[in-house]
Amino acid sequence: MPKRQLDLIFPEEMIKEPVIWEMSKKFDVIFNIRRARVTETTGELVIELDGEDGTLDKAVEWLRKKGIKVKPVTHDVLE
Amino acid sequence: MKKISGLKCRECGRKYQAKAIYVCEFCFGPLEVDYNYEQIKAHISQEKIKTGPNSEWRYWDLLPVETKSVISLGEGFTPLLPARNLGKLLGLEKLYIKNDAVNPTYSFKDRVVSVAITRAVELGFDTIACASTGNLACSVAAYGAYAGIKAFVFIPIDLEKGKIIGTGIYQPNLIGVEGNYDQVNRLCSEIADSFPWAFVNINIRPYYAEGSKTLGFEVAEQLGWKAPDHVVIPLASGCLMTKIYKGLKEFNMLGLIGKVRTKFSGAQPEGCSPIVTAYKENSEIVKPIKPNTIAKSLAIGNPADGYYAWKTMKETGGFAETVNDEEIIEGIKLLAETEGIFTETAGGVTVGVLKKLAQTGRIKKDELTVAFITGNGLKTQEAVSEAVSRPKKIAPTLKAFTEEFPWIKR
Repeated sequence: MPKRQLDLIFPEEMIKEPVIWEMSKKFDVIFNIRRARVTETTGELVIELDGEDGTLDKAVEWLRKKGIKVKPVTHDVLE
Repeated sequence: MKKISGLKCRECGRKYQAKAIYVCEFCFGPLEVDYNYEQIKAHISQEKIKTGPNSEWRYWDLLPVETKSVISLGEGFTPLLPARNLGKLLGLEKLYIKNDAVNPTYSFKDRVVSVAITRAVELGFDTIACASTGNLACSVAAYGAYAGIKAFVFIPIDLEKGKIIGTGIYQPNLIGVEGNYDQVNRLCSEIADSFPWAFVNINIRPYYAEGSKTLGFEVAEQLGWKAPDHVVIPLASGCLMTKIYKGLKEFNMLGLIGKVRTKFSGAQPEGCSPIVTAYKENSEIVKPIKPNTIAKSLAIGNPADGYYAWKTMKETGGFAETVNDEEIIEGIKLLAETEGIFTETAGGVTVGVLKKLAQTGRIKKDELTVAFITGNGLKTQEAVSEAVSRPKKIAPTLKAFTEEFPWIKR
């Protein structure tokens, strides 16, 4: 199954929400948290998602709708 | 023994072989080149550097290639100019401009591309590629042509005409992607995973980025082997700042210069300032944004090295500031009018921020300050086409001339 490495940035109001748990209940994706940090106003989670392409797209879209910024870990490659 | 000891994760410190990889498999942190410094220290010296070529390759000992046959168009070792007129205007007694607009393809990207392509060929690649909004595209196309290897350059289809021509002239495989920046980014990451190519700003990034250190090396050498007190650097991915800092620290570690007490200040356009925002909010997490600025070469909304640039500014006691589009144009004009240097929009950002920092006393008047100008104004002429002086039209007679300029005495 395809894997995606993602960088998730959480707004302050979402930090206490069990978003990743909820995502894995709603969609058939396996998550593996590699790195995380939380400051006063923001949370960042570096995560790997494993699942079918279509399911991964839906899971990412659901995260975005929750107000989480989702970017591939390669960051912007345009320079 | 080789001078490159391997690659090392900047987050968790895990070590890897020096191959074309860029992300730590464990924590997904970025990989960086690690050197056998003891070996380098044994034979590097000011004298040895001084007898080297007049290019960035005079610092070969500290660049991530093993070959001596480097692919070079003479990039680097650009002028460090005392900016007396601009300094006087801003109340800075020791202001210098590092003019990197005079590289072979007119931007500092030639430094990183020369290193990247040399390393790529050394690793056995026969194709070089990049995703770019301008300066990098020109550079990869030119160096690809010179090295005689295949070049693929991906640009957003709506890029300015000047940049398309400036890249196309070298005849690379130039691909205009129909889509926004996010889509171009995603496509290039997928292509980099699917083809055995050397993508300079993806899988070759750890080596490529090291080229920027040479800006730090040069400034220290040109100042008579010392670090400046304060530097102002434009921030796009944030990589340039962190590498200039690394360069100065390496020189100190190797005994080539004394202690580094340089303050690092960063400049971004208001329409794309994720790193400055993080600095001002005192948050170590850089939040991605959608860029909207005339400074296209700084329009990176999700900066790969944003956190490290943030950390550099905080660690060194530097500042972060932004300027709006009008101030960028004012900055370009100011540098041209006072120092005779025509810079692109990114340089306008640097000069605009330099001015703000000087006027608010954040740069002290007796600090030895260096502002980095990284690209040439001929590349972004449309930004200032309305703001430059037009020719005064006169008839071809002496009378017409003296009438137009009555204040000139014979």
